[in-house]
Amino acid sequence: MKLKKEFFEFFSDIRIDTEANALREKREILVNDIKSKMPQILKDHDINITQSDIRTIDQGSYKYNTTIKSDVVDRDVAVIVSMCTDDMGDPRKFKSYLRDSIDIPSRTVSIKEPCVRASYHDHGIENLHIDLPLYAQIGSDFYLSRGKTNSSNYSWEDADPDGLNKYLCGKINGNDQLRRIICFIKKWRDEKYANANNDHEIPPSIGLTILACKLFSPQSDNEGDADLLALQKTMKAILNEFIVSKTITGEIMSAEISCPLPVRPYTDTFKKMKNSSDSYMIKFYNSLSRAVADLTDAINVESPHDAGVYVQKVLGNDFPIPQKEASYASTRNYREHSFG
Amino acid sequence: MSIREILESYDKITIDQEIVDGIFIFSLFGKQYLYIAPLEDNPSAMAVIFLYNDDGSDIPHIMLKEETFPGVDCIPQGKYRPVCLYEQESIVGAIMPYDAKVRDAIERLIELLSMNEIEKEREFQKEFMFYWNGNSDSHNTHNVYLDQNDSFSEFDVYYGNKSVRLVKRGIQLSDIDDRDKKGRIWTHHVENNAYYIPITDKRGILPPYRGHNWTTQTIKDIVYSEQIEHIDQHTFQVLKNTFPNTQNIIIVFGMELEKIHISFAVKIKCKNIRNHSLLEKIVDDTIDIEQLFTIRKDYYYLCEQIGNDCGLLGKNVLLIGGGSLGSYIAFELVKNGASNLKIYDGDNLEDVNVLRWAYGGIGKGSNKAIALTTMLKSIHPEINIVGINKNINQDSLLIELSFADMIVITVGSSNEQLNINRILVEAGCSIPVIYIWLEEGGINSHILFADYRHAGCFECLYTDIDGNLVNNRARKNTLSISETSIIRNGCGGTRASYGTAVLLRTTSVLLDTIHKFYDGQITQNVLIDISPNCVKISDTPFPMRECNCCGNKKDQSMY
Ligand SMILES: [Zn+2]
Repeated sequence: MKLKKEFFEFFSDIRIDTEANALREKREILVNDIKSKMPQILKDHDINITQSDIRTIDQGSYKYNTTIKSDVVDRDVAVIVSMCTDDMGDPRKFKSYLRDSIDIPSRTVSIKEPCVRASYHDHGIENLHIDLPLYAQIGSDFYLSRGKTNSSNYSWEDADPDGLNKYLCGKINGNDQLRRIICFIKKWRDEKYANANNDHEIPPSIGLTILACKLFSPQSDNEGDADLLALQKTMKAILNEFIVSKTITGEIMSAEISCPLPVRPYTDTFKKMKNSSDSYMIKFYNSLSRAVADLTDAINVESPHDAGVYVQKVLGNDFPIPQKEASYASTRNYREHSFG
Repeated sequence: MSIREILESYDKITIDQEIVDGIFIFSLFGKQYLYIAPLEDNPSAMAVIFLYNDDGSDIPHIMLKEETFPGVDCIPQGKYRPVCLYEQESIVGAIMPYDAKVRDAIERLIELLSMNEIEKEREFQKEFMFYWNGNSDSHNTHNVYLDQNDSFSEFDVYYGNKSVRLVKRGIQLSDIDDRDKKGRIWTHHVENNAYYIPITDKRGILPPYRGHNWTTQTIKDIVYSEQIEHIDQHTFQVLKNTFPNTQNIIIVFGMELEKIHISFAVKIKCKNIRNHSLLEKIVDDTIDIEQLFTIRKDYYYLCEQIGNDCGLLGKNVLLIGGGSLGSYIAFELVKNGASNLKIYDGDNLEDVNVLRWAYGGIGKGSNKAIALTTMLKSIHPEINIVGINKNINQDSLLIELSFADMIVITVGSSNEQLNINRILVEAGCSIPVIYIWLEEGGINSHILFADYRHAGCFECLYTDIDGNLVNNRARKNTLSISETSIIRNGCGGTRASYGTAVLLRTTSVLLDTIHKFYDGQITQNVLIDISPNCVKISDTPFPMRECNCCGNKKDQSMY
């Protein structure tokens, strides 16, 4: 299969395989602040929680090792507080206690629907945020605190954060090609949605990751892993998950894809996107069809150079295009091989 | 096809002007270029391209210097920057058809201009030191001495006349105390702490180039990045735990580029805040930076640059015999990574020897080991040679055995060789020992590689199948050759005749043998025969079970 070297190179260019020092330090300070300050804040609101009742676990791409370079670093750390049912109360308030425990000038703290977000700025521009989904643990059950501060839509949602980690790590760890394919799909998404105005317009990483895990098509030949083919087949399988309705003239009226969480509460990871606008789903479908078509062309053309040009349309300008064979071969014959 | 037709065959190119035959100004991707076709009557000439009236700061491989063509009236006034299309001597122009040369330059230019951001970054990084030193702010050259590339280190700083030495703590430079008429050449300065920080992920790190000088923020982004971990966690911890006691600091960054390690130094001027860690100084206290002209000069690096295999690096080699063969071998060992060498030889260098002594006439009349020491030290200040002006004896050999990692024996006398062999066998020597000797006449020579933990020793060559001592069985010369190859000086003294070819030949086989040993290719003791026509494993039976020194016979005699 073509472009093996290029896919390998591209992967090492875009991937982030360790938590950088400054990020680790900021996360550690943040987690320490939560553990040291939150118990007192809760106590002020008559909730008795000790430091040892609070634990954090990694979530998201840093946990599954599928992080890619981006303009804003996005880190997910779940905060799990052991408590009894009586302590749970209003999830919006609970989130505000978490916010209060970390609200200092070196970071900007805001409450999002599924989490509390600590943002960091460099020269006035946000370059990092750490999202903190807040879970209540009652015995062996977990509930995610949902809802914005003043929203009427709020709840403690049944959840399984450890189970989700276990599911995804089980699929991805030890499967390097799948890991790369997830990174490539996320890179494609970032390229296509670079100018998105609205977060809900963008297919969420968790949905794409779960779909890729479920529909992954491993591909290799006697020269090793064939990432181009694996990417094309996996993206095509995702495309086939769409239910599309068209007019008689072939115009797309609606497109829909669902991907439930593999653990409780089994909710659809594309729900928000779907609920926000029909056009978002249609755009997602169209971009994905375009990508599959380009990757198919890349597989079918003979020249690696031309194939690289097609892949660039999918993965962006940073994908390396091999030299045209003609110029390469002609120059190679005149290479210097002696020295003195 | 004419040159014009070739240029016109590229639809991206528009010819703006044909100045004279073979010289054009054309436009490509929004910029103008001067194209000078290769001269047809010079087979090795290649095309040359200049960027016209543009600083080209966003394109890699554009030379910093500007050229005008004052003497050439026909070329329009303006600034021209050469585009580096070819790595030095990378193309054999002489064998390339003329049309292909014309095209090749154009295609290289198009490729250069079509690079994506990551490819550009790589190209800029390839010429990192060129850009770094071209944009340096300092008058002094900063010479860096390290003995590795991968871990944080501290330097001692020495100032000389026009250059500064940054010497990793622990590295001894033999000339650091040298004096000239004005006094010490190098003075130890303590006003700037200096550190080496290895960069493990170089993504996004570009050299300074026109309009893009490094700032305090660049340094901060390297050590304290939120996304790409440019320095590893261990180094980061060390930065937190290191407390400089000077206000300003010098940092030498190290980075690997396609198997080449580069280092570049920067002076960081800081606010005067006490008790701040190195990390805090870099992240919080930095006011200004100065890019320092940097050259890495250590022995380790120079070995790496020429592709020396690292087997000999850092090893202590004992060289017994500094005569003709010893002098050639000493020189080559030092150039191949053995910077710690001890040489034993009791002889003086006489006129009659100088034509086959590696250093010619230098050191005439003085002891050979001492003369070698002086000469070898001049190769590099990290080279540590000890010359002993006597022949090795049992006591000194046993003492050396505990320091050496390898013994190379170049004495030619069978008595001495056999004696040394006995001592080493009885001492249970566990380091590799290599015997090298020449036969008279300059035709045949031999190398015996012996690791005494395996079967076979030097005395095996002097033992027949009955266990009797005989003369060296490895010998290829016939008696008549040996008779004609002895030169008598009339006073009962004799000299074997041979020229330097056999010395060079034997020395090169020794280097190959050492390389093979460190590469794990030599797993048993081996005798090698060397002649002008061939180098081969000897057909002389070896080892000998009947050897009185190492073989069965010795074991039997114990009963
Ligand atoms: Zn023996």
